[in-house]
Amino acid sequence: MTIATQNELETDVEVRPDGQARVVLRGRLNSQTVVGCWGILEKELLETKVATLHVDVSGLGLCDAAGLILLLYLNMGRMTPQATVSVLGLKADLEKIFRDLTSEDDETFHPQPAIKRDSFVGKIGRKVRQMNRDFQGEMVFLGAIIASLPLSIFHPKRSRWTETRRIVELAGANAVPIISLMSLLLGFIIAFESARRLAEFGAQLYVANTIMVVMVRDMGPLMTAILLAGRSGSSFAAEIGTMKVNEELNALKTFGLDPIPFLVVPRILAGVFVTPLLTFYSILMGVIGGVIVMLGLGFTLPLILHQLASSVHLNDLGAGISKSAVFGVIVSAVGCWHGLRTQQGPSAVGLSTTRAVVTSLLLIIVADAFFSAISFLLK
Amino acid sequence: MMNAPDDIAISVKDLTVGYGDNVILQNVNFQVRRGEVFVILGESGSGKSTLLKAMIGLYPPLSGEVWIEGGNLVAAQGKERLALLRKFGVMYQSGALFGSITVLENVRLPLDEFSDLPDPLKELAALARLKLVGLGAAADKMPAELSGGMQKRAAIARAMTLDPRILFLDEPSAGLDPITSAGIDLLITSLHHFGFTFVIVSHELPSIYSIADRVVMLGSGAKGIIAEGKPAELRDGAADPWVRRFFNRQPDPGHSVKPS
Repeated sequence: MTIATQNELETDVEVRPDGQARVVLRGRLNSQTVVGCWGILEKELLETKVATLHVDVSGLGLCDAAGLILLLYLNMGRMTPQATVSVLGLKADLEKIFRDLTSEDDETFHPQPAIKRDSFVGKIGRKVRQMNRDFQGEMVFLGAIIASLPLSIFHPKRSRWTETRRIVELAGANAVPIISLMSLLLGFIIAFESARRLAEFGAQLYVANTIMVVMVRDMGPLMTAILLAGRSGSSFAAEIGTMKVNEELNALKTFGLDPIPFLVVPRILAGVFVTPLLTFYSILMGVIGGVIVMLGLGFTLPLILHQLASSVHLNDLGAGISKSAVFGVIVSAVGCWHGLRTQQGPSAVGLSTTRAVVTSLLLIIVADAFFSAISFLLK
Repeated sequence: MMNAPDDIAISVKDLTVGYGDNVILQNVNFQVRRGEVFVILGESGSGKSTLLKAMIGLYPPLSGEVWIEGGNLVAAQGKERLALLRKFGVMYQSGALFGSITVLENVRLPLDEFSDLPDPLKELAALARLKLVGLGAAADKMPAELSGGMQKRAAIARAMTLDPRILFLDEPSAGLDPITSAGIDLLITSLHHFGFTFVIVSHELPSIYSIADRVVMLGSGAKGIIAEGKPAELRDGAADPWVRRFFNRQPDPGHSVKPS
């Protein structure tokens, strides 16, 4: 038998060897005293196999919701799984709530069996089916864009040029400061790194060639596309995703307006227009960064400019700018696609944005590798 | 701390609320008695929700005091403020359930953060609240899977989790069909029997007649209370004709619309 008094609650527990147990609670059973009482009951009742448990609460002066929950827990036999439990002496008002909560016709307090988890093979199957559905969806999306583009090109009056201009400003003009800083610093980095290596061969003049080739053929288009994916692709996904969550897309559809020409095409046109311009600007800023470093190394400006001009052909610039247009399509289309696929719920827009950026980056790198391979084979 | 008279749960004194220079409510005074269902009503834009948010400490007032269970919420800081916040629960108009966790986890969350109860009791306590609002079977669902009325009931269950004495409900019947709305009224009435004090923002007249012990009515022009009393009394005998028209759902004669 244990009698414990703590914080105005007296807990009296008696467990007989024949499995008969009796708990008497006196005083105040509230959220503070329940914690101590729980410890005592757990220690006494879990040690022995209890067949019958009587809980006498007639001596309780106060029993709050936490206290009632403890009594409910005991009454459900959660602490004494094999025992017949009775709670006696509750005051009339609490008795009603207590009985309401313990009515047997409700399955609330009987947890549902856990959902059977997929086997490994099942998971693969589910994933493949999902990928197949995604691929079909992407093809339909691509088809819808291709079908909508001629309308924009051949019927310019029916296109949403105001929206396209707004996106050109947001994705293009507003990105100029960050592109300037990034490209200038990129030029510095490439120049410094290559200058140190080339100095070993007495060929520091070729820093100009390195900067020009790297910026024009790869880093300019690639870094601009990466920045656009993070800045504008995510914004397209979030904007369209929020529109979907707010049922704005449904509103468009009920007006008979297709979201593809209405929302997606202006963004793709803006992407195709803006990305090559920003890429050209990025190349220019990167080269300026490199020139500044070379001037610091003691080379004269005419010599540097001559070296720069002789290092790349117009074809190289054309290749860099062309692939940047493709990157622009990728960033815009992927952003819009994930925006349109946004599900319901507060985390859905965030998820779409993340997916848009990750997918864009992946596709940009894959496309860049593809372009490099083609360019190598053609030479 | 000042001790309030025993039967006063909330006392609003000379409360002025606004945003910058834009004063929305000026020198508002009223008291909510313990155990009553007190409804704040008024036309759209009269400052009902603003008053509620000032009463629960979300909007700091420009001046005035809000006494809750004997403590001034406007002046309270730190632990004193936390203790006062613990004395009431709030149901927001949209339910404001956390969408990334289940309904049960939503109700359990305050217990996990503020209670020392053993885990099995926390779980059971959350389930008991859900059962009390008739949502026991929806415990494992995500909030997005619930209907509007169920979300509001779950939000009421969450507001009750830490055993507050006062429940603030912002538009509990708004946007619900009459049957669901009546279900919410019934829930409020049944919880009222457990001794909760209710402060409800609403302009659903059937709901107000069914549940309210007393109402205050805000007027947008008056920037404060234009009528106070029992709903039936205001409907039949309010001095202000606009108040009588409001309670009888009669249009303003100056704003009649005739088909051309």
